[in-house]
Amino acid sequence: MRINYLVAGGFVVLIFCVIIYVVTVLPAATFHPVPTAAAHRYTPKELAGRNIYRREGCFYCHSQFVRYQDRGAGEMVQAGDYMFETPNVLGTERTGPDLSNVGGKYPDEWHRAHHRDPRRVKPGSIMPSFSYLSDNDLDNLIAYLQTLGAGRKLPSWVSPPQEIRDEYERIKSHVNVDSSAAANAGRGIFMQNCSVCHGVHAEGNGPISLTMETKPANFTRPFYKNYSDAMWFWRVKEGLPGTRMPRWGLTLGNEQMLYLVAYLKTLPQDSMPAGKEIHSLNQIDNPHVLDQNFKTITGLMKESGNRYGTSRNEGVHE
Amino acid sequence: MQRVLSAIFSREPYSASRNLFISAIFWLVVGTSFGLLASTQFDMPDALSGVAQLSFGRLRPVHVNTVLIGWLSMGYIACMMYIIPVLSGRKGMWSERLGNITMVLWNLVMATGILTILNGDTEGREYAELAGTIHIGHTSIQVLDWAVLIGLLTVGINAWMTVLTGTEKKWYVSIWYFLGALFWFPIVYIIGNRGFVQLPGLDDAITNWFYGHNILGMWFTVGGIGIMYYLIPRFTGNPLYSHTLSMIGFWTIGMFYAPTGTHHLLQSPLPEWLKSVAVISSVFLLVPVLTVLTNFFMTMKGKWSAAADHIALRFAIFGGVGYLLTCIQGPFQATRSVNWYIHFTNWVVGHAHLALFGTFSFFVFAASYYIIPRVTGRKMYSKPLAVWHFWLVALGIIIMVLDLVIAGLVQAAGWHAGIPVDQWVVELVPYWWIRSFSGVMIVFGSALYMFNVYKTVFHPEQCEALPHSPTGVVYV
Repeated sequence: MRINYLVAGGFVVLIFCVIIYVVTVLPAATFHPVPTAAAHRYTPKELAGRNIYRREGCFYCHSQFVRYQDRGAGEMVQAGDYMFETPNVLGTERTGPDLSNVGGKYPDEWHRAHHRDPRRVKPGSIMPSFSYLSDNDLDNLIAYLQTLGAGRKLPSWVSPPQEIRDEYERIKSHVNVDSSAAANAGRGIFMQNCSVCHGVHAEGNGPISLTMETKPANFTRPFYKNYSDAMWFWRVKEGLPGTRMPRWGLTLGNEQMLYLVAYLKTLPQDSMPAGKEIHSLNQIDNPHVLDQNFKTITGLMKESGNRYGTSRNEGVHE
Repeated sequence: MQRVLSAIFSREPYSASRNLFISAIFWLVVGTSFGLLASTQFDMPDALSGVAQLSFGRLRPVHVNTVLIGWLSMGYIACMMYIIPVLSGRKGMWSERLGNITMVLWNLVMATGILTILNGDTEGREYAELAGTIHIGHTSIQVLDWAVLIGLLTVGINAWMTVLTGTEKKWYVSIWYFLGALFWFPIVYIIGNRGFVQLPGLDDAITNWFYGHNILGMWFTVGGIGIMYYLIPRFTGNPLYSHTLSMIGFWTIGMFYAPTGTHHLLQSPLPEWLKSVAVISSVFLLVPVLTVLTNFFMTMKGKWSAAADHIALRFAIFGGVGYLLTCIQGPFQATRSVNWYIHFTNWVVGHAHLALFGTFSFFVFAASYYIIPRVTGRKMYSKPLAVWHFWLVALGIIIMVLDLVIAGLVQAAGWHAGIPVDQWVVELVPYWWIRSFSGVMIVFGSALYMFNVYKTVFHPEQCEALPHSPTGVVYV
């Protein structure tokens, strides 16, 4: 009887050891991701800053862990990003924003002011004031913060999240968003659903816009000419949080949203500088021509920028 | 002084249990007060600004470690040091003095731990912040971790020797649970707090959460269930419903709890197999949970009305229901589709409070109302105070958990709509005020409890004598 117990007990202890081996030792032994560009070997100063980050418990409210589904937090993290992060500061609860990509987003002076008195820089923030940190500590901490995500090469501060980019890749073959047929179909959808706020010319002056505190976007502004197709799709599908732009993904089907994307891409740009190709702007129904025009126009803008630059310089010389 | 020292290092039977209960309850009030202080920083972020020791990032680990190591672990060991000798037919532990030395050691650890964390010496791993780092040359030693570990090992030795030298050769199920907990927890503690192996980022996170979840699974759950398997038959006078179920529960806890830690990192770029193992074993936790609860509630059969008069039983039932809710919520939120939404929010904070306060602390409350009178030979000083204690902490934790769950859903909606933090944070302000309010209830209830225990232990002349009952059922 006693022997049976001993054997059974030994067997169970063995199984327990195997489980512990599988979930702790095995990953440590087999999981060696290749360091990515975002993995950063810290200098002594940055390391000191990282220790302050850990000591002050920043990671209790700020994660460094952009997930597939996160919106507006920048590029998603990869396994290799964390090769030099010991102990980890992934975080488990976010009361503040994710900091994976915060490096370079704000100037050092902003960080300094924000840590001394957060509410003066961001009203409504509940971050504790770190005014008790010495200047040297704060410098180190900021040096560390400015490294976060530094190697990730963000295309822009607001870009569609990975989830939307993948979804767009999956469905984009349904509709050719560069075709005038799709743009025509999209124009109908726009007139029915969007024009009431954005206006029939998409200039953000539809009748309801009168009642809105945050005015609807004027899609003829040059800013929107930088939108990628996936970015248009994201904004149409999920709306713009914090405004009254709805999530059209709840109402429209994927193909309808793609038609809209096709139409939105063809909208003309206001305040175009007069150029020799001005007559071609009338041919907006053909997006390919518009694209060529766009290239010409951006070329012209660069040229004019140079011209202004030289004139200013000349002024200085005078 | 002589009297105090002899009380602290006493050899008297059950003195270790008594001393540990007193210490644990003291750390309960300290730990919950730190939690309350931390929560007020959400409501009034500038109230305490400018003091390094009182910034949120330092108060939070102090709160967590004080309630985990100071209150709950010491409370558990206090219960074990009464229940193990009783069940193995001994009067007192194998060495009461060793038990008391453990008590002194852990109190020193807690006092040092609070001071060191407040002054910025932290390991920086969630749930494992205790460090007490000492630098000798190029190596740094985390003294407090080793002290906790030594304390655990002394308890383990003491418990084993008590069981082996006892007259009762057949082990009641509680002893299985206690010895299991005292075997598993040191292993988990070493892996979680290892200062000797530095792993790169994500591997560090894996072991961090192996520890963070298994301090709950292999220590608080196993120990707490052991306590309840002893208490419920004692409270009700019914025999345990099924020994087979209790053994199934014991072995399945051992099997299914250990790999669950990675469910805290489900959306991170970890190997998928590890996450799948964690999710599957989290869902399988329903097996031990339901066997244990079936056993509890079937043992209660016919005696539910006793809770009207029996305060300790009332705590036990509340803890049991809390356990049911926690352990249904747990596997639910560990699945990928739910975790996808509620991870990173206050929902999880609410879950942690429901488990550690709403369940395991209530088990210790119930045990202390049963054990302290038996150790001192006196009834509790005041029954109305115990009733107040029950309602304050029970309503406090209910309000806190509901509030945090709702706040977590608001927060999750904010994350998933991509609303900037400074826009939805203002929406959470009312919830944070409610949480602080529930925190006041819990701290106040705990203070009443401490006062009640203080009077019972230190002024026994003011308490009624404990009546002898042939059935062993005494309503405190």
